[in-house]
Amino acid sequence: MTLLEIDSVTKKFGGLVAVDDVSFTVDRGEIVGLIGPNGSGKSTMFNCIMSEYDVTGGTIRFGGEDITDYRTHQVVNNGLSRVSQESNPIDALPVGGNIKLFTLPNSVVSLRGGASEEEIYQYAARVGLESELQELPDELPHADVRRLEVAKALATEPELLLLDEPFAGMNQQEIRELAATFEEFREDGITMVIVDHNMGGLMDLVDRAVVLDNGDKLMEGPPKEVTTDERVRKAYLGGTEVP
Amino acid sequence: MLGTLLSILILGAMISAVYALIAIGFTMIFGVGGVLNLAHGALIMLGAFAYLGLTSTGGMLSLPPLVGFVIAVAVSAAASYAMYAGLVQFIEENVVITFLATVVVALLATELVTFWFGTDPYQLVPLVAGSIHLETVGTRVRYMELLGFVISWIAIGLLWYYVTQTDEGRSILATSMSERGAQLTGVDLDFVKSRTWLIAGAFAGIAGVFLGSLLSTYPEMWLNPLAIAFIIVVIGGIGSIKGSVVAAYLIGYLETVTIQFLGSSFQGIFSLVVLVVVLLVLPQGLYGREFVHE
Amino acid sequence: MSSETDRSTGSTRVLGDTWRSVDDGLRSVGNRINPVFQPLADGYNRLFGAYFGEMNGLQFLLIFGSLLGLLTAPFWGTFSLIQTMTIACIWAVFAMSWDIQSGYTGYISFGHSVLSGVAAYATAMLVYNVDPEMSMAITIPLSILAALAVGMLIALPTLRLSGPYFSLITFVAVLIFYRMIRPFSEYTGGETGIQTVSVFTYDPLVRYYYMLIPMLVVAVALTFVARSNIGLVLMAIRENESAVNAAGLDATKFKLWSFVLSSIPMGIGGVLLVHYYGSVDPTTFVVVDNSIEMIAMAVLGGMSSILGPLGGAFLFVMLEDFLLEGLPASARWTILWTIILLVLVFARDGLFRKLWHALERYGRRGETR
Repeated sequence: MTLLEIDSVTKKFGGLVAVDDVSFTVDRGEIVGLIGPNGSGKSTMFNCIMSEYDVTGGTIRFGGEDITDYRTHQVVNNGLSRVSQESNPIDALPVGGNIKLFTLPNSVVSLRGGASEEEIYQYAARVGLESELQELPDELPHADVRRLEVAKALATEPELLLLDEPFAGMNQQEIRELAATFEEFREDGITMVIVDHNMGGLMDLVDRAVVLDNGDKLMEGPPKEVTTDERVRKAYLGGTEVP
Repeated sequence: MLGTLLSILILGAMISAVYALIAIGFTMIFGVGGVLNLAHGALIMLGAFAYLGLTSTGGMLSLPPLVGFVIAVAVSAAASYAMYAGLVQFIEENVVITFLATVVVALLATELVTFWFGTDPYQLVPLVAGSIHLETVGTRVRYMELLGFVISWIAIGLLWYYVTQTDEGRSILATSMSERGAQLTGVDLDFVKSRTWLIAGAFAGIAGVFLGSLLSTYPEMWLNPLAIAFIIVVIGGIGSIKGSVVAAYLIGYLETVTIQFLGSSFQGIFSLVVLVVVLLVLPQGLYGREFVHE
Repeated sequence: MSSETDRSTGSTRVLGDTWRSVDDGLRSVGNRINPVFQPLADGYNRLFGAYFGEMNGLQFLLIFGSLLGLLTAPFWGTFSLIQTMTIACIWAVFAMSWDIQSGYTGYISFGHSVLSGVAAYATAMLVYNVDPEMSMAITIPLSILAALAVGMLIALPTLRLSGPYFSLITFVAVLIFYRMIRPFSEYTGGETGIQTVSVFTYDPLVRYYYMLIPMLVVAVALTFVARSNIGLVLMAIRENESAVNAAGLDATKFKLWSFVLSSIPMGIGGVLLVHYYGSVDPTTFVVVDNSIEMIAMAVLGGMSSILGPLGGAFLFVMLEDFLLEGLPASARWTILWTIILLVLVFARDGLFRKLWHALERYGRRGETR
C-alpha cells in the first residue's frame, strides 16, 4: 500500500533545475534508499517533501492526502519527520529538553502538554541516548548528536521517517549500531527513506533504491539490480561533471 | 504647475542623493557582516559636529570649509572603523547583542555630544555660500544643495567603480553575496569588513556635513535620516547597493511631494505606506536577497 | 585556556587570588545562610516548583526578601525613594512585557513604546473626545484592547520577516506613530498632548500600591507562562526557528502569540503611566527612546528571564532618578549607557541572571573548585 507518492516533482532555483520531473512511491513498511552522487537533488527532494522549499511543479501525496502546499509543521503533524544532514540541536537545552520540544502539542494554550519524563526516556532509549538526557548537546560526541537528531524526529511519532545522510561522519561500529536501530524502527512499523551518496553501506538495509542523477531519476529497483546497473555505475564514476 | 513639478524634480533629486549615501553605508555593513549598525546615524551626527568644531568661526581652529569637510569625513570614517575594530568584531557572532550594542553606542555618542555642545541647533558654515534663483521654475536652489547632489553622486560612482572594477572592491561584493563562499575563495574577511566600515563611515560623514548644513546640526539630528535609511534599505532590499539608490530616489521624491502638497506634518507617513506595500508584495525588497522564511 | 593562565602576569595573579578568597568567603557565608532558608524553599518548591521553577535557600531569600521589601517600602523608604519605585514599577511592567516577546523569541522589537503609547492615548482620547466622565471600568479594558489590536497590526505583516527586517520595521513604526499625532492634533492634542486624564489618587503612598500590585500580577503571570511549554517554544524560536517547525510547531503562530502575551501587559503599563501623570504627550509616551530604555532594562537584568528585566528596570530607574540624581542629564545618561554597553559586552546574560547563578553556586554545600 502506497504511503508516500512523489508525482512529477520539479524544483527550479532560478535557471537551475535541481529536481526534474521525478516520480516514485514508497510503500508502508518499506525502507527505500534515495541515492545518487553529490548534487543529484536528493536533499532538495527531501526539502520539497518537508515544505522547506515550495515545489515548482508536481504533487506530493502522503497517505492519499495532497501535502504539496502544506507548511512544514503541518507536514510533520501529518506523520512525516526528517533527520536533516546538519545537526541543529538547541544548545541551551539538555538532550531531554531537545527531545521534549518535539513532543509538544502545536497549541499556544497548552502550558503543560508534551511527553512525560518516562516517554522522553523511552525515545532516548530507542537510539541509545538514555544515559545522556541531562547532557548539553555541545558536550556530546558527534555520533551522539546524530542520535539525538534521530530521537527528536522519532518524538514526533512519525509514520514515515526521512533520513538525510544519517551515517555521515560515523565510524564502522557506529554505523552498524545505527543501522540496527533502523531495523528496529521498521519492526515498530515506521517506514523510512534514507538518503546517502555512498551506496555501499546502505544496500544491506534497504528494500529498494531510487537513483537520482543531476536531478533526474535514473532508475529504481532492488539493491542488487541497482548496484550492477551500468548507468548507475557510470553516474557515480563520472559524478564529477558539473551540471 | 509645471514650475512646482520642476522644483519637486530638482529638490527631490538632491535630498535623495544624500539619503542614498546613508542607506548604502548601512546596507553594506549589513551585507558583509550581517550587522545591523544602528550607530550608523551617530556617524552622521559626528560628521556634522566634527565639521562644526573645525570650521566654526567662533572656534579655536576656524579652518577653511573645504579642509574642515575633508577632515570631518575622515573623522567619521575613523570612528566607524574604530567601532568595528574596538567593539563589533568581538561580539558580532551574536547578532542580537551586536545590534543592541550599536544602539547603545549611538545613544552614548548623542549624550557625549550633548554634554559638550548642548541640545540647541547650530548653523554650519556652508562649504559654498549663496544660491541661484531659477526664474522659469520659480524656486531657489542653494549652491550647497547642488554640491551635495554632485558630491554624493561622485561618492556613489567611485564606490560603484571600486566594487565592480577592482579586485579589492569585488571581494567586498563577493562577501556580501556569500560570506562562506568568499572565505572559501580566499577572501580576507577581516580586511573586507574593516574596509566596509571605513567606507560606510566616510559616506555617513559626507551625509552628515550636508544634512547639518542644509537642515541644522544638533545631537539628535541623526534619528530621522536613520529612519529614512531603514525604510530605503528595506524597500531596496537589505544588502543591495543598487536597491538603496533606487529606493532612496523613490522615498526622496515621495517625501518631497508630500511636503509640497500636504505640508511637513504628513512627512514620513506615505513612506510607511509604500513600505508596507513592498513588504506584503515583495518581502525581500526590490533587489534583496531572500530574507523571508516560511 | 591553560595557555592564558600561563601567560598571566603577576598582577592578574594577585587579582585572581583576591577574587578566590572573596569567592571562598562568600561561599562560606552562603553555606551558612542557605540551610536556614532551605526548609522554606523546599516548601515553596513542593507547592510551586513545577510551575515557576525550583530554588535554593539563598534564592528564596532573594525573591521573597525583595518581595517583602517592595510591599513594605512605604514604611521604611524616604519620600523620593517611594516616588522612584512607583515609576520603576511601571517600567518593570514594560521591560517584562518586552522580554516575553523580544527577549524570548529573539525578534527584537524597537516598537514597544507604540503599544504602551496606544493604550495611554486610547484612555486620554476617550476622555478628551468622547466623554470626560467616562469610567475607568470602560477606558481601561478598551485601552488594553487597543494596545492588543495595534500589536496585532504590527505583528501580522512583520513576523514572517526575518529578524533584522522585523527590528527595522518596528523601529519605523514608532516614528510613524509619533508623526501621526501631529496631523490629527484635533483629537490627539498634538505636541502638547492631553492634560485632562484623571489620576488614580493624589496620595503618593497609595499610588505606589496602585502601581506595585499590577506589576506583581504581571510578573507572576509572565513568569508562569515563561516557565511553561510556551516559554520553551519561544526560546526555541530564538535558538533555532527551523527546528521548531520541524517539531511540528507552527513558529509563526507562537510568535504571534508572544505578541499577544506582550501587548496586553504593555497596555496595562500604558494605562498605569497615563493615570500616573494624568496626562499624555508624544515625548513622554511614544518616542523611540522609551522602547530603547525598555530594552536596556531587560539587557541589564538579563533577557529571557522575566524577573531579570524586572530587576533591571528597578536598577535602571534607581540609577537614573535616585542614585545619580544630582548630575546633569547628559552625564547621567552617559553613565547609564556606558553601564549598559559594558553589560552587553562582558555580561551578556545580564546582572540578575549572574546573581541568580552565583546564589545557586554559593548555596551548594562543600563544593571544591
